[in-house]
Amino acid sequence: MIAAVRMMAFGAMVAYSSGALLHEADCPNCKLPLVQNNDNFDNEVVVRYGNKRIEYRSIYCVLKDQDRYKVDLTVYSPSEKIGEPVVLKRVQGKWTAPEKAVFTMGTSKMSLCAQQSRAFSSLEGLESVRLKLELGESKPLTLTEFIEAVKKHKFEPSGGTCCSQAVSPK
Amino acid sequence: MLLAGGEPKVTSAFFSTLMPLALALASGGQAQEKPDWMNRRTEDRLSYLRGPYNRSIDLIPEFARDMYATGVGHALAYEALVRGRKDRLESQVQPQIAAILRNPPRFLVDEAAISPRFSTRFSSLEKVFEWAHTLHFQTIDVLAYPGWDFQRKEEEIQRLWKFYSAQPFALTGLPMNMDRLDGFSWSGLFRSKYPKTNALFWGYHWLQTANYDMLYGTALASQREQYAVLGDRYRTEELTRTDRDFMPMTAEISPRFARRFPQIANAFDNLHMLHDNVNDILADDRLTESQKDQAVDAAIINVLASTHRNCEPVAADEVETVAPGIHDHRHPNSMPGMGWMKGSDGDEMFMTGMGWMDMSECAHCSVSFPDSPKLTATGFAGPYGATVSSNGWTMSVRCVLCARDMASESIGRVILRAATEDPSRILVLISDEEGTFRSNLPEAVFLDEPAEHPECESWSRAFTNRAAFERYLKANPGFQSAQPLVLADWANRYNGKPETYRKISRPNPYRPNPDRLNPSGTKSPSLEVRSR
Repeated sequence: MIAAVRMMAFGAMVAYSSGALLHEADCPNCKLPLVQNNDNFDNEVVVRYGNKRIEYRSIYCVLKDQDRYKVDLTVYSPSEKIGEPVVLKRVQGKWTAPEKAVFTMGTSKMSLCAQQSRAFSSLEGLESVRLKLELGESKPLTLTEFIEAVKKHKFEPSGGTCCSQAVSPK
Repeated sequence: MLLAGGEPKVTSAFFSTLMPLALALASGGQAQEKPDWMNRRTEDRLSYLRGPYNRSIDLIPEFARDMYATGVGHALAYEALVRGRKDRLESQVQPQIAAILRNPPRFLVDEAAISPRFSTRFSSLEKVFEWAHTLHFQTIDVLAYPGWDFQRKEEEIQRLWKFYSAQPFALTGLPMNMDRLDGFSWSGLFRSKYPKTNALFWGYHWLQTANYDMLYGTALASQREQYAVLGDRYRTEELTRTDRDFMPMTAEISPRFARRFPQIANAFDNLHMLHDNVNDILADDRLTESQKDQAVDAAIINVLASTHRNCEPVAADEVETVAPGIHDHRHPNSMPGMGWMKGSDGDEMFMTGMGWMDMSECAHCSVSFPDSPKLTATGFAGPYGATVSSNGWTMSVRCVLCARDMASESIGRVILRAATEDPSRILVLISDEEGTFRSNLPEAVFLDEPAEHPECESWSRAFTNRAAFERYLKANPGFQSAQPLVLADWANRYNGKPETYRKISRPNPYRPNPDRLNPSGTKSPSLEVRSR
């Protein structure tokens, strides 16, 4: 049974994961290398619209780069569970996410955005991986809070601090 | 020291006494003989080959005008360089050129009329440039000419190459070691001192190479449609790009054409490298005017066909001892239309914006291309294979499934060029921003029965029409139950990341100490890439 669930989860992951060469290229926003899924976590953030599937390094990067797209978007953002992404939608400019979803901005450098700027299915989900992801005291944010925090934060080139500062630790 | 490139640390005394020796060393240990024609100050103009195709470029008006403007841009920058206006190159000359590029001429402009001092002083160089530009325009004219079929065009391009290379001003069609040609003490000076003006030069060279895969094996209507995408890219991005590590190479941007006509691709790369060499020499304030003249002459001789008349190209893996100086004619094993690049190894080369690639493999699934004893219009051996062009790059893939999935992973508009069962008819799909394709072959259908990637050329194919699809099924009973997919249905599919894909993780050879983390971009063990 567990194996079957695991297979289904893997299937869901394959269905939304992005592809090869570009999949392992650089993030369109921060220009740092995309981070691949691994045995511990999914890390591939995928934006879908029309027939396109564009991969980003973090959900932070997606929101920072969203003005590039003029159409409705669906974003598959890895959560605390492998194969079960948090699905965000932007319809006519308005973002929505599952009711219980929470987000973290991270407390460190841009280079850690893939690890620390993430979506979680729920507060409990976030707490279950806080240590593993080295999230420190990152505050859980609602989607609205997260979008505002990203907006306020000034993007700096790769290597600079980016996912930091916008949110103070608890 | 002169050959090493990098930070120049040479004195004027060094230049006056040792430069002739250095130039000789660059040429393989001994000074190359200067051809007689280089001592003549006469114009020595050569006529282009007669043919009904001449000026067919004008059938793609926007492309023609952009191409005509490249000549004006070259000439204005060179004239500024020899008239002591270097300090105004970025602030005044570049904007002046940019204004002309925005409103390009409607006819081919005589560059010598715009750059009289440069053309007089560097008359030998002007002859070489003009003759190579004639080859550019005539090959384009043939490919754009609607009056001939594919085979006739192939023959004429061969005839053009023969005609071109028989003249004294011809550049060699051999692959040259680009790392060495870009390894003089002045190399890179122009691009670092005048990045915006250099972006114009590299933008022109991008256009002059990107157009070949656009034109090759496609009809005029498709050529025009493709240029709507490429021209936009050229004007909005390529002319202002300052992030390229190296000049655009023909095989990078038009791989089908470079595979089919490697000598022509090499000649164009050698031409563009000569441009870079001249720019760098003229930008070097340590050289006297006389030394610049001498260095430009040496740069010309380095790439002349006559200098290499007894040489042969050689695949990287067949080389026992690398030839010294300028006589290293290695090419990647699978790409005879490209010289040796910095950090290259076998078939691997670094491409700005895409990282390391292996030219013997599909850029999407990493499975090797089948052997290619006989190339077709697609640049592959059989009725399979495709290229994907987006954001200034072009990548070769094994099958249309790989092409489609790669296109879906690319931001913005994409041009996909794929083989069909008819070697003379290429399927050209152009996608909009959302990945919706339109086709040059409205009756085209697809076979899409995903199995193992090493056999993808058998289960992922494009056909010009349904009858061709049926014939294929009859000849391949294993696919008997397959249904032909029309474009809209096929384009909606996505097969995910191929299990066979492998990433080449090597650092950028042009920036050996980047401010970067490890290849996974993280220091956390919890995010290390899952091994496959």
